[in-house]
Amino acid sequence: MHFKPQPPCAKVSVNGGNHAASCGSAPLRRPLKDAGLALMTAGVPKSLMARARRSGLALALTGMVLAGCASSDTGATEPWDPAETPNRFIFAINRTVDMIAVRPAAVIYRDWVPEGAQKSVRNALDNLGEPVTAVNEVFQGDPGRAATTMARFFVNSTIGLAGLFDVAAMWGMKRTKEDAGITIGMWAAKNVEPENGGFYMVLPLIGPSNIRDATGLMIDYAVDPFNILPIAFNWSWWYTTPRFALNVIDYRSRTLFALDDLEKNSVDYYAALKSAYTQHRAELIRQKREKVDTKAELERRDNLALVR
Amino acid sequence: MPQTVSRRFVLTVAAAAAAATMPAVTMPARAAEPAAELISSTATEVIEAMKRTPPGPERAAVMERVLETKFDLPGMGQFALGQYWSRITPQQQAQFLKAAESAEARAYSDRFGQYAGQSLQVGRVTTRGGKYYVESTINQSGGGQPIKLEWEVKNTPNGLRISDIKVEGVSMIQTRRADFTSYVQSHGGDVNALTNELQARATAAAAAR
Repeated sequence: MHFKPQPPCAKVSVNGGNHAASCGSAPLRRPLKDAGLALMTAGVPKSLMARARRSGLALALTGMVLAGCASSDTGATEPWDPAETPNRFIFAINRTVDMIAVRPAAVIYRDWVPEGAQKSVRNALDNLGEPVTAVNEVFQGDPGRAATTMARFFVNSTIGLAGLFDVAAMWGMKRTKEDAGITIGMWAAKNVEPENGGFYMVLPLIGPSNIRDATGLMIDYAVDPFNILPIAFNWSWWYTTPRFALNVIDYRSRTLFALDDLEKNSVDYYAALKSAYTQHRAELIRQKREKVDTKAELERRDNLALVR
Repeated sequence: MPQTVSRRFVLTVAAAAAAATMPAVTMPARAAEPAAELISSTATEVIEAMKRTPPGPERAAVMERVLETKFDLPGMGQFALGQYWSRITPQQQAQFLKAAESAEARAYSDRFGQYAGQSLQVGRVTTRGGKYYVESTINQSGGGQPIKLEWEVKNTPNGLRISDIKVEGVSMIQTRRADFTSYVQSHGGDVNALTNELQARATAAAAAR
């Protein structure tokens, strides 16, 4: 797909005052509303004008969806965040909950619970997550790796005592972690940068996400047998609540260092975390894409060799 | 290939003693690339500083010198300010660079705490678009997960300089850029507000000690 390059921000911001930072829809739409332009095109039939306006808007919208908000001077992409105000609001609530409840619990967990126990808890939680990883590996076009993941799951669930011990890793089956957000990002069109996951959103309690990863989260939730089984067999609070709570505490305890550091050394924590989250997710997706590209290239060369 | 000592072995042979005698920075034997050398000399300097001084102003001073001699500070500062860089006077640029440098030095001096036997292993060097990318791994002696770092090195008028560090795919200057530009934008495009904030934080941190 090709579209016209966006007009440089500086050019349009002449009448826009401080709007230079946003180069999404506004700069593209504004010239059409410009009085001078309207005078110049007064002779053009109305239908044509309407069409031009509509296509301008469509162009702006596709541009925004596909490219995010391209910044002007170096080509580095900033995450697209049209819902920044509500996002910052949820972010503030999340931070408060974190400060009062989650972070203290995570600190106690990290400092007071013996390391061996922490490791076993993490192993067991990871083990419950293996089926979701396997499903994603199938959809990422790697059934071989999915089989290994399922083998890990069966070994660790039995010999590893319900996943408390990662026996499979000792047997040489290394753990992988995949989610549907990565799978979607992997198969997105080539010209969609992995940094572009649709618009950025902060989810209540969960935190940084975007359209791509939030969709992935829902898919993962829907295909996870350990979410389906409890509903089917009516396992109630004694299973669901501890799993969720332990996941939160375990995850938070492992991100204590990085997040504390980011918070302490940033002047706008929201913006810094948005950027770091987007980059980190993009890196995971980029690794996947590169792997597929290398494989395709090797296959192409094989085919060429066969033809010769 | 670098010689690797198994963690269990190190633990059995008294971790502290082993950490003190083990070379803190290992490099592939044949990697004579100047970019890789720049990284290993930087790492050595930082690790030495960590061994010698506790977190505090003294260590921050050492870090500041490392930043000035090994990093491309003007380039990084310019990138981090994005579109606002060209809108301010050279004097404001210099003030901003100084404030950002001391903030960064303080961050690095506090980040690692006491030296605990970490070592840096320099890996592959690749070249893309006139820049060098040096892979490296920080191994933690306590048995923690190794941390993967990627250093971006480029040619500047002052010779080879580090222009970015990526941790698990997260670029330091890209994150700073998002951070700084968002702050400046929310302060009506006033870079002085950012410079003042960075300076105020440095003074507050110094007063707290």
